[in-house]
Amino acid sequence: MNKKILSLVYLVSGFAVLFSLWQIASMVTKGELPTPWKTMSVFFEMWADPFYDAGPNDKGIGVQLFLSLKRVAIGFGLGSLIAIPLGILIGSNKTVFNILNPVVQVLRPVSPLAWFPLGLAMMHVSDKATIFVIVITSLWPTLINTALGVASVPQDHKNVGRAFGFSRWKYITKILLPSSFPLIITGLRLSIGVAWLVIVAAEMLSGGVGIGFFVWDSWNALSLEKVMCAILIIGLVGLLLDKMFSLLQKRFTYAV
Amino acid sequence: METLNNKVQAHNIDPQKQSRIKERVADAIIGPLLNPALSIDVKNVTVSFPTAKGVYTAVKDIDLQIRKGEIVALIGHSGCGKSTLMGMISGMVKPSNGEVIANGKKVSGPGPDRGIVFQNYSLLPWLTVFQNIYEAVDSAIKTGSSAQKKKIVEENLKMVNLWAHKDKLPGQLSGGMKQRVAIARAFAINPSILLLDEPFGALDALTKSSMHVELLKLWNLDNREKTIVLVTHDIEEAIFLADRVVVLNNGPAATIKEIVDVPLERPRNKKDIVHDPVYMDIHDKLMGLLIDKFSIEDINDMKKTA
Ligand SMILES: Nc1ncnc2c1ncn2[C@@H]1O[C@H](COP(=O)(O)OP(=O)(O)OP(=O)(O)O)[C@@H](O)[C@H]1O
Ligand SMILES: [Mg+2]
Repeated sequence: MNKKILSLVYLVSGFAVLFSLWQIASMVTKGELPTPWKTMSVFFEMWADPFYDAGPNDKGIGVQLFLSLKRVAIGFGLGSLIAIPLGILIGSNKTVFNILNPVVQVLRPVSPLAWFPLGLAMMHVSDKATIFVIVITSLWPTLINTALGVASVPQDHKNVGRAFGFSRWKYITKILLPSSFPLIITGLRLSIGVAWLVIVAAEMLSGGVGIGFFVWDSWNALSLEKVMCAILIIGLVGLLLDKMFSLLQKRFTYAV
Repeated sequence: METLNNKVQAHNIDPQKQSRIKERVADAIIGPLLNPALSIDVKNVTVSFPTAKGVYTAVKDIDLQIRKGEIVALIGHSGCGKSTLMGMISGMVKPSNGEVIANGKKVSGPGPDRGIVFQNYSLLPWLTVFQNIYEAVDSAIKTGSSAQKKKIVEENLKMVNLWAHKDKLPGQLSGGMKQRVAIARAFAINPSILLLDEPFGALDALTKSSMHVELLKLWNLDNREKTIVLVTHDIEEAIFLADRVVVLNNGPAATIKEIVDVPLERPRNKKDIVHDPVYMDIHDKLMGLLIDKFSIEDINDMKKTA
């Protein structure tokens, strides 16, 4: 209990420091940067009616956020559906590993945004191209961690499968997957983190809808308050996504 | 045999070689008939592991015949190759030389006729106690409904007094409890050969004693038909349980130092046998075999450092 109160105290003081620095910065820039108070009032204004939809260029913050999350969900979902099985294959077969490893090593450091034109060329629609970018983004961390998890199943656990004659299917479902779950989830957690980073940039590029577009649109409308609000929201949502996966991670970690 | 004799003579081979050939042929023909009750036959086996520093030979030229229904204890210093030997019989470790016959068949891999208790329990940490045993039973026993298999799991968990803990994960168990789960798992598949690698090592003296009795009880219930090989560091345990105690030399390239018979009547009573002169003799002998090694090692070490 005491610990909880303490961590709350830390949280509040942390934000107090942030807001004071922000206040100072806005005073120094003579109001170029909106003050925290002004931003907060805009923030609450925005959340008074978050789901209004007044045409293509005028949507509530809730709608924008929802659309971005939907893209991330689809892209991340598809990416994971590709990355996990492929990771299992790479991790359990030396030849597949040797063939695919160089490819992964070359593609992994490429900024996901570089794929955007390719997506656009293939899909012709910027919405789908954005999702395509998220798919690519979500691939690498999951792929690499899944492969690592699968390749490092402890010998003791493999021995159980051998000694008692587990079928291939039982081996995969009762030994291989549970044993690599912690690392698979680590991969997913990293992936969703990067996906959330990238969606903002991708939507600035693609335009139309989404939280990234909202940031760009607010900047064009010279509403830095809205930009600041969006930054806060993006941060909070990112935190929530990460928390979700860290809970999952705890759930699937076992004491031996 | 007559015709064989003639043929051999016809080829004019020297008599010594001739009789050896005869012996070998006779062995091949009569061997299995004479020894139908041979459960495990370790034939001149050597096991080497490739390591970073080159090939490491763990055990060498091991010859060991174990009859059906026999209880054999393996004893030897840490790292001498006891687990390796067990792994060979179970089929988990491939011999680099020689072969192992179990239940009349050449061992080429693990099989449900051989139940293993691993030295480090090897329970799956994400499965409950019940599931750990159930999955093994489900894999090893091909016939029967899932209700029947669940019944088997229940019986075996009750046998090791863990039925109350069936829904716990291994991480929530004590070392001794984990060991009992591993024992129940090996028993549950009802193998004709039980390979127990220090099965009672993590148990306190009381639990250990009752597990000894349980083990012998099960062995008796099964008309003493199960062959049991167990690794132990405990001389008393070895004598109490075993018909023979196999003492291994120190590695590398460990060989069998001596096989000591334990001609004590069964059922044995723990309290009484310790006063039996035969027991005391065997105990002294084993002590000598094991400690002797120590002193020789010590002298060698001293020589090396000197
Ligand atoms: N997979 C392996 N690769 C390389 N060396 C191995 C391997 N398995 C065992 N060894 C070596 O073989 C030797 C015998 O090991 P083993 O586990 O059989 O000993 P042990 O008699 O069971 O010892 P303990 O009583 O400590 O359990 C050791 O020196 C060990 O380092
Ligand atoms: Mg061992």
